[in-house]
Amino acid sequence: MALEKPVLTKRIPTEPWGRHEDRHYVDYNEYVNTGGYQALDKSLQMDRSAVIDEIKAAEIRGRGGAGFPAGMKWSFLPPADGGRRYLAINADESEPATFKDRLLIDYDPHQVVEGIAICMYACQLDTAYFYMRGEYHDQRATLERAFKEAYDNGIFGPNSRLGQINGRNPELFLHRGAGAYVCGEETGLLNSLEGKRGWPRIKPPFPAVAGAFARPTIVNNVETLACVPHVMENGPEWFKSLGKGRPEGTPPHVPASFGTKLIGVSGPVVRPDVYEEHLGVKMSYAIETLAGGMLPGMEFKAAIPGGISMGVLTKDEYDAPLDFDIGKKYGILGLGTACITVIPEGYSMISCARNLARFYARESCGQCTPCREGTEWLYKLLTRIEAGEGTTKDLDLLLEVASSMGIMPGTTICGLSDGANWAVRTIVNKFFDEFDAAVSKNRLVSLSVANN
Amino acid sequence: KPQSEPYFTDDMKRELDSVVTRYPRKQAATLPCLHAMQEKVGWLPPQAMEEIADYLDLEASEVMDTASFYEEFWLKPKGKYVIWLCQSISCEIMGEPSLTQKVSEFLGIQPGETTPDGKFTLMKVECLGYCGDAPCGLINEDIQQKINTDNLLDVIKNLD
Ligand SMILES: NC(=O)C1=CN([C@@H]2O[C@H](COP(=O)(O)OP(=O)(O)OC[C@H]3O[C@@H](n4cnc5c(N)ncnc54)[C@H](O)[C@@H]3O)[C@@H](O)[C@H]2O)C=CC1
Ligand SMILES: Cc1cc2nc3c(=O)[nH]c(=O)nc-3n(C[C@H](O)[C@H](O)[C@H](O)COP(=O)(O)O)c2cc1C
Ligand code: SF4
Ligand code: FES
Repeated sequence: MALEKPVLTKRIPTEPWGRHEDRHYVDYNEYVNTGGYQALDKSLQMDRSAVIDEIKAAEIRGRGGAGFPAGMKWSFLPPADGGRRYLAINADESEPATFKDRLLIDYDPHQVVEGIAICMYACQLDTAYFYMRGEYHDQRATLERAFKEAYDNGIFGPNSRLGQINGRNPELFLHRGAGAYVCGEETGLLNSLEGKRGWPRIKPPFPAVAGAFARPTIVNNVETLACVPHVMENGPEWFKSLGKGRPEGTPPHVPASFGTKLIGVSGPVVRPDVYEEHLGVKMSYAIETLAGGMLPGMEFKAAIPGGISMGVLTKDEYDAPLDFDIGKKYGILGLGTACITVIPEGYSMISCARNLARFYARESCGQCTPCREGTEWLYKLLTRIEAGEGTTKDLDLLLEVASSMGIMPGTTICGLSDGANWAVRTIVNKFFDEFDAAVSKNRLVSLSVANN
Repeated sequence: KPQSEPYFTDDMKRELDSVVTRYPRKQAATLPCLHAMQEKVGWLPPQAMEEIADYLDLEASEVMDTASFYEEFWLKPKGKYVIWLCQSISCEIMGEPSLTQKVSEFLGIQPGETTPDGKFTLMKVECLGYCGDAPCGLINEDIQQKINTDNLLDVIKNLD
């Protein structure tokens, strides 16, 4: 059943409730007049631990891609010791095809700011850094305006209604990145925040234990934090009435897919944009009903449903539900950012794989050899196959290199490599005929295969 | 070429002093300082990075190490207008390759190069976060959405 009322897009006109053209910046007054900051005031009446319990009970899972339960992350913090504790808001949003957090930043940043304030109160975090990718230029002015309004109205600073936290005034600062995908990885982000290269760190320790400046730090995605005020206002049971529950008969520790989700659709569709729906809505529904279907003359061939790192879905998998179980069911890495790129008939999957491989080769930070060298190899091999010069041996090597790089094979520090691995492997496996045809010309078949 | 006048003016310092205090360690102000410097000078000359290092009590090599990691920091001068075209998947599907080719032909330079008069630099970049408006790009800080090649060339012609 389609979502009845918008939640995160309540103030951001979005189909089918509103028109894209009517979107505007929601300032502090408009936000408050439409019920904003009541969830914060309600939270401030509660014990800190009770707020965390509500977030835990709602089972909000991280919207940055990994789906880790936010309430659990919050409760992993060590007890406060009077020293500084940080919140880092992850607004790096650099995963190709992903543009959902920008919707919240552009039009309703106070919703995110309110989530930030609640999180700081509940987790006893005194300082928040909003880490936003450098290429978001217009968004810098928007956020500076929203933050100033929040300071002027006693959310942060010396007059904060949060009171002092760890003996300090709660503060929220914007910190701009400068063009590096890997800074979206939470520990790369922390190094970048500290003024260093954005090199990911080995986990554990997780940031919750030792993060920014070696102090306890919560890292959450923009959309995750935007869900927080809604849960505090309407309660966990309401949140769990949205989205998709556990399959019948599964024990309660199996994480479900509750809540709504921002879903981006790009590529040759009638209305490429960001939409909001229940978690678990079918991909076909997002493409056809929300985004208005394919452009005239275009036919659906495949889709990358969660940012490029997750892998690809075929025409046969058109109806895949966009929930946190999609990975297991459809042989991809996971839900990721739930931003869909639609690939039309006529566009070569070899070109697609080459495009993705180039991205990782360019963005690998170079710390781990399997990632630094592997991504380059993937790109080289795919370029060769695309040019019609690839051999069957190249295809073997491609799959071998891909499956040897990542946290899962245990050879790298961060998940960038797993992204490269899954992006390439799922495309080759699901569209094997295209690759096979390209490398199986007689003159290109390698001797090792021909002799068999 | 070293210049005798410092790049890091007192005005800039006054502005950045309040930024430095946002962080428990001075080094954390490296990115804000580099952004501010690049905004003023247009790129990051070695001397400017040394001055930032002095200001933050760091070694010049630490500042350079950081600066060289990030794509948006220019360690050599760039054109007055940098045209960044997104080459990631949604933009490629929506026509980036022919767009880049036409802009490249019009300017007479390859991606990564600057026109001899120093006016334009052409860059291919990865996803800009405007995938719903593909193909897209930036001219300096201005986002260009749903680019139609002819319109973009008109915009470029009208830049002075
Ligand atoms: N939004 C975007 O633009 C992008 C998103 N991604 C997503 O990132 C995902 C991978 O992210 P990772 O951070 O590597 O995943 P992860 O599974 O290592 O961590 C997820 C979160 O849970 C926390 N966590 C996990 N175990 C913990 C523990 N025992 N104690 C405390 N905290 C714990 C981590 O600190 C982190 O915040 C991918 O699934 C991908 O979808 C990737 C690229 C770009
Ligand atoms: C290479 C890489 C890039 C990432 N980029 C982002 C990003 O841009 N935004 C984001 O929120 N999370 C990103 N993540 C995931 C973060 O590491 C982390 O899981 C997330 O910020 C936690 O927030 P959440 O639990 O609220 O989702 C990235 C992960 C990897 C491995
Ligand atoms: S996996 Fe790749 S991006 Fe991640 S730390 Fe290693 S080299 Fe860097
Ligand atoms: S793919 Fe070009 S802006 Fe995202």
